[in-house]
Amino acid sequence: MAEADTASAKRTKTNAKATDGRRLARAAVTLGGLAAGYFLVVALHRADILINDYYLQILIWVGINVIMGVSLNLINGFTGQFSLGHAGFMAIGAYVAASMTKLMGMPFALALLAGGIAAAAGGLVVGIPTLRLAGDYLAIATLGFGEIIRVIILNLDVVGGPRGLPGIPAHTTFLWVYVIAAATVVVVRNLIWSRQGRALVAIREDETAAETMGVDTTRNKIMAFVVGAFFAGVAGGLYAHKITFIDPSQFDFMKSIEALVIIVLGGLGSITGTVMAAFVVTFLPEILRAFADYRMIIYSLMLILMMLYRPRGLMGTAEFSFKQLGLGNGRPVPDGGGQVAATGDGPPPVLETHRVCMDFGGLRAVSDFNMTLCQGELVGLIGPNGAGKTTVFNMITGLAEATSGRIHFMGEDITRRKPSEINDMGIARTFQNIRLFSNLSVLDNVRIAFRGARPYSMTEALLRAGRYSAQEDQIYRKSMEFLRLFGLEDRASEIASKLPYGAQRRLEMARALATKPRLLLLDEPAAGMNPQETQELLELIRWIHERFDLTVLLIEHDMNLVMKLCQRIIVLDYGVTIADGSPAEIVKNRRVIEAYLGEEAV
Amino acid sequence: MSGGLDISMVIQQLVNGLALGSVYALIALGYTMVYGIIRLINFAHGDIFMLGAYYGYFAITMFNIPFALALPLTMILAAVTGMAVERLAYKPLRQAPRIASLITAIGVSLLLQNLGLKFFEARPRPYPRIMSMVVWDVGGVVVSNVQLIMLGLAIGLMVLISLIVYRTKIGKAMRAVSFDKDAARLMGIDADMVISVTFALGSALAAAGGMLVGFYYNRISPTMGTMYGLKAFVAAVVGGIGIVPGAMLGGLIMGVAEVFVIAFVSSTLKDAIAFAILIVILLFKPAGLLGRAVREKV
Repeated sequence: MAEADTASAKRTKTNAKATDGRRLARAAVTLGGLAAGYFLVVALHRADILINDYYLQILIWVGINVIMGVSLNLINGFTGQFSLGHAGFMAIGAYVAASMTKLMGMPFALALLAGGIAAAAGGLVVGIPTLRLAGDYLAIATLGFGEIIRVIILNLDVVGGPRGLPGIPAHTTFLWVYVIAAATVVVVRNLIWSRQGRALVAIREDETAAETMGVDTTRNKIMAFVVGAFFAGVAGGLYAHKITFIDPSQFDFMKSIEALVIIVLGGLGSITGTVMAAFVVTFLPEILRAFADYRMIIYSLMLILMMLYRPRGLMGTAEFSFKQLGLGNGRPVPDGGGQVAATGDGPPPVLETHRVCMDFGGLRAVSDFNMTLCQGELVGLIGPNGAGKTTVFNMITGLAEATSGRIHFMGEDITRRKPSEINDMGIARTFQNIRLFSNLSVLDNVRIAFRGARPYSMTEALLRAGRYSAQEDQIYRKSMEFLRLFGLEDRASEIASKLPYGAQRRLEMARALATKPRLLLLDEPAAGMNPQETQELLELIRWIHERFDLTVLLIEHDMNLVMKLCQRIIVLDYGVTIADGSPAEIVKNRRVIEAYLGEEAV
Repeated sequence: MSGGLDISMVIQQLVNGLALGSVYALIALGYTMVYGIIRLINFAHGDIFMLGAYYGYFAITMFNIPFALALPLTMILAAVTGMAVERLAYKPLRQAPRIASLITAIGVSLLLQNLGLKFFEARPRPYPRIMSMVVWDVGGVVVSNVQLIMLGLAIGLMVLISLIVYRTKIGKAMRAVSFDKDAARLMGIDADMVISVTFALGSALAAAGGMLVGFYYNRISPTMGTMYGLKAFVAAVVGGIGIVPGAMLGGLIMGVAEVFVIAFVSSTLKDAIAFAILIVILLFKPAGLLGRAVREKV
């Protein structure tokens, strides 16, 4: 045992070294590429080949649009929160930065930073109330805030009100824009490929599932919004010091739309696509100058045609990546199956509910529900449709708040806790109608659920420094181990929604277990399975139960499965517990037979 | 405000606000019906409103058509325009991600606006006088015949559209498609036709709104659609998007609020009030005043 451990440790070390090497190579290629790009543009400009003064100016606008687009894509594309108020944050940044250089004579870098921070603060103020809204409502609320920011500036005499702010020093050079645009791309990319980023994408894919996997959705959405607003503010600062005259009308709704067009054209959730689209959207009107009066008519026609022919944008959600350049993803394929850490040595009982009730309008869905689950138990929760079984799950996991009564987990009251907190404490679940992060890979589905005891911070994620690499490697290895345990290893890179039904069920369980629960709630895991699959599932649940030292509560209609699997069965009918006992007792219980099993079951 | 509000002044502003609000309501109806049926924020709707104003302008000035005839003619023309836009720009994207249609709608909006700037000229035009203004003074509150006609027409059209949506077969089909397009199709409803009709009705109402604005404010321009459109859309959301009475209620609230802000606070804040109301309402009623929040079933 000890020998095996050292051997495995050694292997990990060698792997780590090789990975470090590859990581450095990647960093070097990134930096080198960026520097080369800059010098190439400068050299071409000096030599006046391809890039004349005019084009260099346009490239500056491209860079500003890249920052706007990439930062908006973080909010819209990756987190899935439809924001239409990006121009408002740009305006804040522009006005703050311009006031600092013009009115206070501060250095440009400081002004840009201050503009970004002011916009981020604006993002916080806007985000906290609005991010509770979803979809188009969020879009229109952010649009509203964007317009309100503009009207506020319109009424601020210090910065010229409607007359605007002229004579801003022209500090913005190609170098400034290039460096900041590149930094934005790198930062957003690093963020996306971190645990924080995975949480964002999980929110986009399925907010409810993300919550029950321990993602604090509100916090993460606001984080994305604030980071996005920061970069929009910096872009605003660059913009102001390029155009040298700003007035509120420049930051109207159409400016937000411009950023939206860039990300939709590029592909929501694609950074490289956004960069490409920034070029297209900036250069197109310039090229169309030849058409004079018809310029905007042609521009809008082309916009319509591009959407009609590429409705998913230039890149979809795909990226140009190092993989395509043959550098691999930098993570070794795991070897050897290490023991997955088993948790849970707490004293019984694990879960207790005290007279829990749930009312929907006038309907009492669950009434005075009392239940105690002891450590290591495998309990079935059965009852006819509409008996309130899933509602019980929802109350335990925090998705629904009990009307009255209390729920205790490991001795702590969790009745009013958020789903993500409850998951952190050790309760995980699956859903009746499978809720995977369907557009993500199998591996990512499990990775999202993982988090360490001392997870790396966002700064570490953005700089890819500190604990980032070690933990990411570990998360990768552990996730692959989980996939192997569930027979999904070969499918790790497939898109979750493409898996066959049974495999999706297994993946959902693997994902739930990756959050290291003490209590696992399974909502109709055998639904839609044939007898063969059900048999496999039975063995799988048994095996999980032992292997992970879990307490399991299971909703299921397949009586055969429940009888074979469960040590104890609770029967609900119209929200009331009508029986609680061993399988043998349940099948003999008259009330259960009347309510649920039917006569022939006797 | 010194010395307290004069009650007749308040009533006066209420009358003005209702006049403006009825136009917002007419435009908002188109937004709400289209959103209800295909979940699209039709950004081009404001520009159909603008086109309506110009159709009416040319009908009256160039062809000397009397107002009573120009209005229905304009509405028909706008309906055809709306249907054409839907067929050419939105229908091909029915299966695409929703955001693609949204960007296309923005593209169409830009296109119509720039066509307007090119062919109608950028300068604002005075609207033709169709009747001499008669003003009544009712206890300090001034009401003009133009306001009365405007309110009357707007209310008449709203009643008509409610009857169509809630009392006719096509209205029932619209509600069915709005509820579940595929199921409606399986019940033998021609969903594409229903969607076309929805665009036609919405566009006709917007065009009527366009003419009324020209008539009342005596001034139209190719870019007028943006702000009116945006505020009318906000009105639709405030009332509860997808709900016909909600759009009317939202429109009236927007109009009255805007006029009050201009009269009693500051005219530079008039564009902010719509959005401020929007945000406050959404925070307390996330699905709008008449909307009902649907909880996702887990």
